Amino acid sequence: MKNNVIITFSQATINYQQRAALEDISLDVYQGEFIGIIGPNGSGKTTLLKSILGLVRPSKGSVQIFDCACHKLRCHHKAKIGYIPQKGQIDPNFPVTVSETVMMGRYSSLGLFHRPSKPDKGLVETALTEVGMTGYEDATLGHLSGGQQQRVLIARALVQQPEVLLMDEPTTGIDPPTQHSIIRLISNLHKNLNLTILLVTHDINMISPFVDRIALLKVRLFAIGTPSEVLNEKILSEIYGKQVVVTTKENGLYVIVGDYHYV
Amino acid sequence: MFEMLSYEFMQRALIASVIIGLVCSIIGVFVILKNLTFIGAGTSHAAFAGVTLGYLIKFSPLSIAVLFSLITVWIVGYLSKKGYLKLDASVGIFYSLTMALAVLFIGLMKIYNAEVYGYLFGSILSVTKLDLAIIVLLGVVVLFLVYLFFKEFHFITFDEEMARAGGIPTGWLSFLLLTMIALTIVISLKSVGAILVFAMIVTPAAAAYQLTYSMIRMFIYSALIGTGSSVSGVFLSYWLDLPSGATTVLFVSFVFFLSVLLSPKHRTILTAIN
Repeated sequence: MKNNVIITFSQATINYQQRAALEDISLDVYQGEFIGIIGPNGSGKTTLLKSILGLVRPSKGSVQIFDCACHKLRCHHKAKIGYIPQKGQIDPNFPVTVSETVMMGRYSSLGLFHRPSKPDKGLVETALTEVGMTGYEDATLGHLSGGQQQRVLIARALVQQPEVLLMDEPTTGIDPPTQHSIIRLISNLHKNLNLTILLVTHDINMISPFVDRIALLKVRLFAIGTPSEVLNEKILSEIYGKQVVVTTKENGLYVIVGDYHYV
Repeated sequence: MFEMLSYEFMQRALIASVIIGLVCSIIGVFVILKNLTFIGAGTSHAAFAGVTLGYLIKFSPLSIAVLFSLITVWIVGYLSKKGYLKLDASVGIFYSLTMALAVLFIGLMKIYNAEVYGYLFGSILSVTKLDLAIIVLLGVVVLFLVYLFFKEFHFITFDEEMARAGGIPTGWLSFLLLTMIALTIVISLKSVGAILVFAMIVTPAAAAYQLTYSMIRMFIYSALIGTGSSVSGVFLSYWLDLPSGATTVLFVSFVFFLSVLLSPKHRTILTAIN
C-alpha cells in the first residue's frame, strides 16, 4: 500500500540568509503516509515544508514531488498540495468570511481568468462539513476562536482536493482539548481521504499515537523511523540538550523533558 | 442645477469625478487591506515631479508623470520584495527625493507657472477633452484589470504567502497592483492634486472598512462613498466657489468620520467594554 514514493529529498541542502537551514537531507515520503516532523527551533522544519512547495529551492541535491523538481512545480501540481502555514494572529476586523476564505483554496485549481462556479461552492460546503464548520459560512473569520479558525484553514486546504497536506504547527496557540480534537480531525482525514500528511510540531506526545513515522531534524535529518524507533532518550537528549525521559503509557510512548511533558 | 450641467467644462468635470471616484475607491480597498497607504503618498509626489519636468522640457507632463510614478513603485516594490529595504523606508526616500526634484524643476523654470500649481492642489473644473480621454482610458484599463484578476488580488490581499504556495503568481501580480496604484494616482493628479489624491484613495476604503466584515461589500461601499463624494465635491465647489480638490477631500473625510461613528465594529468593541 505504501510503496509509492511521492516526495523525494536527495542530499538536499537549502540555504536561508547565507546559512544552511537544511543540510544533506535524504528522505522518501510514501503515498498515504503520515509523518510528524519534530526538532528544536531553527532546525529547518518549516523550510522542509516550504521546499516541497517550491517556495525555497535547494542549492545542492534535489527535492522532487510527483516526479517533478520542486522549483519547477506548475499550478496543477501545486493544486495537489494543501498547505496550512503557522497560524498568525488574524485581524478580527479583516473583512473576510469563512466561505470566502475556504473558496481561496480553489483559486489555484481554477487558474487565471476563471471564476468560482456552483461545483466550487459545493466543494466549499463539503470541506466545511468535513471539518465540522457547517453553519459558519457567513461568519467573519477573525471572530472565530483559534480552534475554529484552524478548522477553516484546514477546510481551505481540503477544498483543493489535495493528495498531500503540509501542516506547520496546526495546534499552536490553541487550548489542549481543542488541540486534541484538531489532531483527531487530521488523523481521520488522513485515513478517510488517504492523504499523505507531513505535520510540523513541537508536541511529540500529541502526535506520536497517530503518525506512521517521525522525522527528527536539527538542520540535518537526525533520525527517521516509527515513534518507538525515534522517541529514544539518547537521541532526544542529544538533540534538545536536556535530560529526556521516555515512558510508556496506554496509548504509546510519552516524552518528558525536565519538568515539562513537552519537547 | 440644469444650467450648471449645460456647461461643457462641468460635464467633463462630472464624468471625470465619477471615474476618478470609482477607480480611486476600488484601488483604495487593496491599498488599505495590504497596508500600502504610504506608497500612495510617495507615488503622488513622484508623479508631481514628473509633471514639473514635463513643463520644464515642454513635453507631455502627464506622460512623464506616468513614467516617474511607475519607476517609483517598481523600484520600491523591487527593494521590498528582495528584502533590501522595508517598504516604508524606501517610499520615504522616494517621497523626499521626488519632491526635491519637483522643487528643483520648478526653480529651473524661472517663471511662475500656474498650471504646475494646479497639479499640486487640483482643479477638476479645468479638465480638458484630452485630460478626460486619458482619465477614461486609464480608468477603464485599471478597472478591467481589477475585474480580470479579482480573485487573485483577493487572495494576495488576505494571505500573500498562502497565495504563493497555492500557485498564484504573486510576483508579477504584486507589481501589477503597484502599477495600477501608480496609474490611478496619475489620472487623479490634475483633478484632485498631488497633495490630496492620496486621500481619495485611502479615505473611501477606510470608511467602507468601518462598515462591513465582507470584502465584497467593502468594495461596493467604497465605490459608492468614493464616487458619491467625488461628485458631491464637484457640485459643492461650483455652488460655493471653493477649490474642487479640497472640497472633495473634506467631504469624503466627513463621510469617514460618520462611518466611524456608525461602525458596527466599534459598537462591538464598546459592548465588550461595557
